[in-house]
Amino acid sequence: MRHRCLLTLALMLFAVPQAIIGQEPTAQVQNFHGFLFGDVVYVARDAATTDGFLIGQMVAHGNVRLSPRLTLFGELSGTARPDSYAFEVERVILRYDFLDVFKLSAGRYHTPVSYWNTAYHHGLWLQTSVARPEIIKIGGRFMPGHFIGAMAEGTLTTSALSFTYQAGVGNGRGAVLSRGGDAGDLNRNRASVFAAQIRPGHFGLQLGGSVYFDQAPTLLGNFDERIASGHFVFEPGDAELIAEYSQVQHEGSDDVERASDGWYAHAGYRLPGALSKFKPYVRAERLDSNAADPVFATLEDYRAIIGGLRFDFDGLAALKGEYRRERFGNGPDVDGLYLQVAFAVSLSRGM
Amino acid sequence: MSWSRLFLIALFGLLVSSAGYAQNPTNTVAIVVHPATKTDNLSFDELRRIFRGERQFWADGSRITLLVRAPVSQERTVVLSKIYRMTEDQFRQYWIAKMFRAEVAAGPKIVYSSEMARELVTVIPGAIGFLPLNAVGGGVKVIKIDNMLPSDPRYPLR
Repeated sequence: MRHRCLLTLALMLFAVPQAIIGQEPTAQVQNFHGFLFGDVVYVARDAATTDGFLIGQMVAHGNVRLSPRLTLFGELSGTARPDSYAFEVERVILRYDFLDVFKLSAGRYHTPVSYWNTAYHHGLWLQTSVARPEIIKIGGRFMPGHFIGAMAEGTLTTSALSFTYQAGVGNGRGAVLSRGGDAGDLNRNRASVFAAQIRPGHFGLQLGGSVYFDQAPTLLGNFDERIASGHFVFEPGDAELIAEYSQVQHEGSDDVERASDGWYAHAGYRLPGALSKFKPYVRAERLDSNAADPVFATLEDYRAIIGGLRFDFDGLAALKGEYRRERFGNGPDVDGLYLQVAFAVSLSRGM
Repeated sequence: MSWSRLFLIALFGLLVSSAGYAQNPTNTVAIVVHPATKTDNLSFDELRRIFRGERQFWADGSRITLLVRAPVSQERTVVLSKIYRMTEDQFRQYWIAKMFRAEVAAGPKIVYSSEMARELVTVIPGAIGFLPLNAVGGGVKVIKIDNMLPSDPRYPLR
C-alpha cells in the first residue's frame, strides 16, 4: 500500500509537469506547480561522528489544482542512509478552499506548532542557515514535526493587518516519538493543534503562537502532552530576525507535571550593493530537557552558538559556510565546520 | 552666463523631463481585471495583499487568478518595486516559499506579452493583471487604486 502511494505521488510530481512543460502558453491556467529541493554538505567536526561529504535530503514538492477550489499538495523526500536511501511521504494534503477565511483539508502536514517547522522544513534552500534549530531538527523528538489528520485554516485581511489561523485534529505522535501516527492513533486519544499569526502592515513583522495537546505513547504508558510555542519574525527586506520559544509539558498517572523548554534566536542581514549576494548570520540555541521526564528520558540538553555566511551564487542555488560550537548534555564543547550547497529546481514555467 | 542662470536652466530641464516621464503612458501601469469582476476600486493595501497572495478570493467568493508579466519589462519593474518592494530574486523566493508552505495553490500565472496578459484577463473569470497604460485596449476593466485612475497625477503605479 505504501509503495502504491509513493508511486502515485511520484507520477503526480514528475509526469504531470512533463506534460505541461511541453505545452505553449494558452488561455488555460496552468494547474501544476512544483519544485525540487536538494543539498550536499561537507562536515568537519572535532567529535567522533560521521563527517566528510554528505548527501542531504532530496525533496520533490508539487501542488496540483484539481478544480478552482480543490488542491492536492504532495511532497516526497529521499534521505541518504549508510546503506540505502530512505524514501518518505512527507506531506499529502487535499484541501478545499471555501473562502480566504475558511479552508478545510485532510492529510499529512508539517505540524503548525513551530514557525520554522512550517516555514522551511525540508526546503533547505529557503532557510538561511545549513540546518534547522535543534528544537525542531529532522528526526528530533522535542516537538512533533508531522501531523496526520484534518485541518481548518484561513486568513482574514484588513488594510491594517493579516490574521491567519490553523486548527487541527489528528493522530499525534507515533510509536517512534519523532514520527507522526501515519497508520492510526496508538492511544485512541486524538491530538489537537491551534495556531495563529498576525502580520501588521506590510513591513515584514509576524507574531504568532500555538498550542498542541496529545497523549504521548511510551513503554511506561501514556503521558498527557501539552506544547506551547511563540515566535517573533521580522523580515523587512534585507534583514532577518527570527526568535522562537517552546515549552513541552508531560504529565503521567502520578499527576506530576514535568516541563522541558527550548528556544533559538536567529539574525541575518543581506549585505547592500555589490555584496548583495552575501548574507552573514548568527544563531543562538538552547534546549533544556527535564531529566525526570520519562518521555524525554534520552533527550539531551543542548547549547549552540552558530555563525555563518550564505552566498547566493545563482538565483536558485546557494553556498553556505557555517561554524558551530555545540554542547550535548554535560559533554564538552564540540566545534564543527559545515559547508552546504543548497538548491531549488522549479518545475513551473517562468519562476 | 552666471551660475544662477545655469542652475535655473538645469532645473527647468529637469522639471520638463520629469513631467514628460510622469505622463508617459508606457511608464504608467494600469491594474486590469476580468470585465465581470464586481470590484471597481482597491486600496493600495488591498492590491498588495492580492498581489502577494494573502487574499485569494474576490468579495463575491470567486477565486482570484493573478497574472504577472515575465521578466524583463517596464511594467514588471514598476510592480515589483511599488507593490512587492522586492528584487527579482526576492520575488522568486517569495513565491517558491508560498507554494512550499501550501499557503497558495499556485504562484502567479506568467504571461509573456501585453497582448497575452490582456487576452487572459479577458477570458479568465476572476483574473487580475497589469498592463502599460497605452496597451490597455478593450475587453478588460481598469481598476482604480485608492480611488485614482491611471490618468490621475497622484496615481501610485508609475
